[in-house]
Amino acid sequence: MSVIVRVFLVLLAVWSAGVCRADDDTVAPEHVPGAVAVSAEELVKLIYSNPGIVLIDSRKETEYLRGHIEGAINLLNLKMTRAELQRVAPDKSAAVLFYCNGIRCLRSSDAASRALEWGYRNVFWFRGGWQEWDEKKLPVIAGEHPGLSR
Amino acid sequence: MRIETLSIRTVTVGIVLMIGAVAVVLSLLAGSYFRQSALQAQMNSLSRVIEVAAGEMLKEARQHTFDLGMRMGYSRELVESLSDVRGQAHLAGLLDDPFINGFVGLSRINLQKIRLYDANLQYIAESSRGLEGLGRQLAAPMADLVSNRQGVERLKAADALWFSADNRPLFSMLVPVGGLRLRGYVEIVIDPVLNLEDIGKITRSPVSIYTASGEALKVSTVHDAQHSLPVRYVLPTSDGQPAFHIVVHEDVENLNREMERTQIVTTVSFLLLTLAVLLLALWMFNRFLFKPVSRMMRDMESMAYGNQSLKVDKTGLREFYVLAETFNAMAERVRMRTQELHSSQNRLLHLLDVDDSAILCFGASHDLVYFNRGACQAFGYSGDEMNDLEFPDLFSDPTDAICPSTALDSRRLQLHCIARDGGTFVCEAIIRALSAMGGSGYAVVLNLARTVQSAPEAGRAENGEPPMVAVEKSLRRILEIAHHNPGLLLGEETAGDHGADGDGKPRLREQVFRVMTSALACWERELGKTKLDLAEESGIWPVYIDKSTPTTRTLDKYLHIDTCPKNPRCQRVVDTAEFVLKQIADRPVACRQDLLDALEALRKIQSGIPHGED
Repeated sequence: MSVIVRVFLVLLAVWSAGVCRADDDTVAPEHVPGAVAVSAEELVKLIYSNPGIVLIDSRKETEYLRGHIEGAINLLNLKMTRAELQRVAPDKSAAVLFYCNGIRCLRSSDAASRALEWGYRNVFWFRGGWQEWDEKKLPVIAGEHPGLSR
Repeated sequence: MRIETLSIRTVTVGIVLMIGAVAVVLSLLAGSYFRQSALQAQMNSLSRVIEVAAGEMLKEARQHTFDLGMRMGYSRELVESLSDVRGQAHLAGLLDDPFINGFVGLSRINLQKIRLYDANLQYIAESSRGLEGLGRQLAAPMADLVSNRQGVERLKAADALWFSADNRPLFSMLVPVGGLRLRGYVEIVIDPVLNLEDIGKITRSPVSIYTASGEALKVSTVHDAQHSLPVRYVLPTSDGQPAFHIVVHEDVENLNREMERTQIVTTVSFLLLTLAVLLLALWMFNRFLFKPVSRMMRDMESMAYGNQSLKVDKTGLREFYVLAETFNAMAERVRMRTQELHSSQNRLLHLLDVDDSAILCFGASHDLVYFNRGACQAFGYSGDEMNDLEFPDLFSDPTDAICPSTALDSRRLQLHCIARDGGTFVCEAIIRALSAMGGSGYAVVLNLARTVQSAPEAGRAENGEPPMVAVEKSLRRILEIAHHNPGLLLGEETAGDHGADGDGKPRLREQVFRVMTSALACWERELGKTKLDLAEESGIWPVYIDKSTPTTRTLDKYLHIDTCPKNPRCQRVVDTAEFVLKQIADRPVACRQDLLDALEALRKIQSGIPHGED
């Protein structure tokens, strides 16, 4: 029995190592077909020009709480269902922007793709994500304090 | 020092020793330079580490001040108060909040001041707590940076390391108030020394921090100053002025130990390698240079001393091979010429010996260089005894009066001859000057048939003038040979060069005199015998009977430098020395070395080899 367990653990370790390595090499696509890719500065301008835009933070909640863009809603891509998305963005013609941790994060591109599949027509994708926003020292909200409403 | 006194071996060993000494000095210098270079490299490396560590510490401070600034920038109360009529006091109270209630990261930064500016960077308010006297102006580098920004860029936070009015280095973070809706800016001012102290955690060394003017801000205690290497790094402000002098006291005891070990290993290895190479070089020099040269010298000396059957060993490098070949060829030619001369000489001697006249040939110093058999018979001497005689020994006539003055001068006169037994007789003689190759002498031909008084063995058949002319020609030839080969005609083997060398004769005579006196001194001192015993026992020197008293007048001539013949019989001298050495061989004699040295010097002079003493 113990032999079987050991073999299983070894196989699991090998699989995990492979997955991790695959993740290491993973880079978000340059474009999400149907979505508009924007930079941090373009995002700020987009917010100014479109105050009703829905910002969706596709990261985990812990990452979101450590810091996020003002007005962003935390919706992990794995938990994002059609109904959940419709709840935060009921108007499919409204602007919806997705971001996650950066160019090595596939969550936001995945979420944006699915939003397009579900009929959202005005999808934006912030490919640089949190990494770019933080490096440019743009305003961030950390913790659970509500921040200022736009 | 004359170069002739140096041997190739001495010079080569000297060069090798010099190279060895230079190698030792260079290795010591290299070791010293290695140590300095290692310390310099360590300092450069550590300086770079300090720079990186300082950057990390400022990065941490930047993050904490940014977080604090963002918390305040998103504070609804602060944003609303910007347009509040309650005024400065209320704003100051809001800005004092972090000083009073604390904030996340309080322990990580040393908060000094919080100041509030509007969107145009105009001063609005500042915290009542914290540092006083900062003034209202935003730090110049930061103000320049932010005021030049446009649009979205104005939302980005900015930071700077700057000097306050009292020349105190401070760190500021300027963040927007109001989030994406810019209402103003809040500046978080901290003292970065608290963060820079943590450089020591990265370098694991004591850290001291000074201002640019040298004022100590934080001084660490260095326990072992002897093994401490102070490494200095200057942290600049945002506009490039020196803000802090950060000194890390690196413990270099381990480094010193490792350097010492490395230095010893490398130096010893280098020296051993050098020594090995030098030894190999010496061995090769010995194998390919010293030994062949020594062998060639030995062979050449032996050949020069008369061992004509020997050939110089040709084993060696190409140059030595060619040299030996050339020398052997030259020696072979000399051998052939010598044989030809001997043949010629023998023919002449035979011719002269068959003549009934007594023919004698004297050199310029009246020493007898040739005599024929008739002369021996006329005077009653044996051939050996005749060898050591001079004109006054054979004739009682004054030499000055009878010697021809010019080469063409020929005299016919009567000479008073002295026989071996002391008897005298008068004999008609022809004396003719002879000259050849710069030398001079004269020949005496006694017409024994016209002896006035009977002489021993006299009574030869009368001979007329015609033979005299023939003999003169032969004598001229003999004198020429004798001039170039002293002793050759008298049966001695001597080198010709010293005889021809005007400077060599006094040296040869002097050395002959030295050998003879040394030999006689050994003989008399160690064996307690007289010079008469030496002459009789060795059989080398003739013993004469003068008035019933045995004398050694020939030997006596060699014992005084003034009477020593100008063309001394070197072989007799050498034989005498060897005879004495043989007699005292089994005795611990101190004078033996002197005699050996003198004999060696004489041999060198004979062979034409320059002698160091001269």
